[in-house]
Amino acid sequence: MIEVNGLVKRFDGFAALDGAALTVPAGSVYGLVGPNGAGKSTLIRCLTGIFRQDGGTVRVGGEDVWENPALKARIASIPDDWYYFTQSSIRDMMRFYRGFYPSFSMERYEKLREVFQLDERRPIRRLSKGMQKQAAFWLALSCMPDYLVLDEPVDGLDPVMRRQVWSLVLGDVAQRGTTVLVSSHNLRELEDVCDHVGIMDHGKVLLERSLAQLQDNMVKLQVVFPDGMTEVPPELPVLHASRIGRIHTLIMRMGAQEAADLLAPYSPLLVDAVPLTLEEIFIYELGGADYAVKDIVL
Amino acid sequence: MISLNYRDSRPIYEQIRDGLRKLIVTGALGADEKLPSVRALAAQLAINPNTIQRAYNELEGEGYIYSVPGKGSFAAANAAADSARRAELLVQVRELLSELRYLGVSQRELEALVKEENGHD
Repeated sequence: MIEVNGLVKRFDGFAALDGAALTVPAGSVYGLVGPNGAGKSTLIRCLTGIFRQDGGTVRVGGEDVWENPALKARIASIPDDWYYFTQSSIRDMMRFYRGFYPSFSMERYEKLREVFQLDERRPIRRLSKGMQKQAAFWLALSCMPDYLVLDEPVDGLDPVMRRQVWSLVLGDVAQRGTTVLVSSHNLRELEDVCDHVGIMDHGKVLLERSLAQLQDNMVKLQVVFPDGMTEVPPELPVLHASRIGRIHTLIMRMGAQEAADLLAPYSPLLVDAVPLTLEEIFIYELGGADYAVKDIVL
Repeated sequence: MISLNYRDSRPIYEQIRDGLRKLIVTGALGADEKLPSVRALAAQLAINPNTIQRAYNELEGEGYIYSVPGKGSFAAANAAADSARRAELLVQVRELLSELRYLGVSQRELEALVKEENGHD
């Protein structure tokens, strides 16, 4: 379980994190999403004990992370700007990791060699970007971590490798109950792998739900009202409305059944409930926070 | 055995649920046959195990599968599940029929269609 409360991190007076709070239940895969500059990577660096927070608490499994080597030995992380020693090969890095992670499994390391098929003796900096990322996964998964913290993890990986990597991570979640926190912009992919989602903006976590809750609590309806009714009744609690011809598309913050019941008194000709994708939820939730695609023509 | 369609508007768990249900209803998964474990399916489809568990829970609630602690989930040979599904499908047929009538398809044409479809068996 990862608990972050009232987290504040300032750089030269700029608050990159401004009271962020989130809870990642044990054994879940938590997706952290948010626009560029929302504070995702800063939060992740606080979580892995790289940054010392200016305020608030960061607790992993009930303990503070800062300067806690015993706890950090159970957390593996793949940052967005990973670092390897110059001239070191994967094999050198493996020896280095093995020294820091008591749970490092050679058996797993050997098994993963089949998966990644990288030359473990070549200097890592002479591998391509995607191959370096594969090396990061190879090393991180060999550490048998209880907590896995990933910042934009599958960027730069080819489609087969993305799937391969997720399959390995999710297998670990199902088998060992690994807790995973992942930041990403690929909402389509997060929808498959996550069970919890937190949306960040301006250094705060705006909303945090399980994916099931998110999908059940917001609904997109296509509605055709009877003749003579051209406008959406103002008393309906509509988050977003648009229309093409006679078909109104309404986004409402409620379950599909509840929304259908609310619309029934207007005797609409057609009510069709369409589940929202995570991408749509992201856009509509942040739409209230002054964030939307702006109509600018260049 | 289950294919996920990422362009499908249904959530992933519904696609898995419907996919497994189809396999059971059509007999591709026979009665008391073991379903893949949540873990195996999670790794195979690269899908969150809790999402798969949710699909399994719903199928169990509907009576299509039963689980044996420590052994896994198995397809049920349950008439109750069939009748629930039958009722659900009949509602859909009713909706389709009223729409077809709206479009001016006559009673006779519909009856001919039903006869023709039955003739396939």
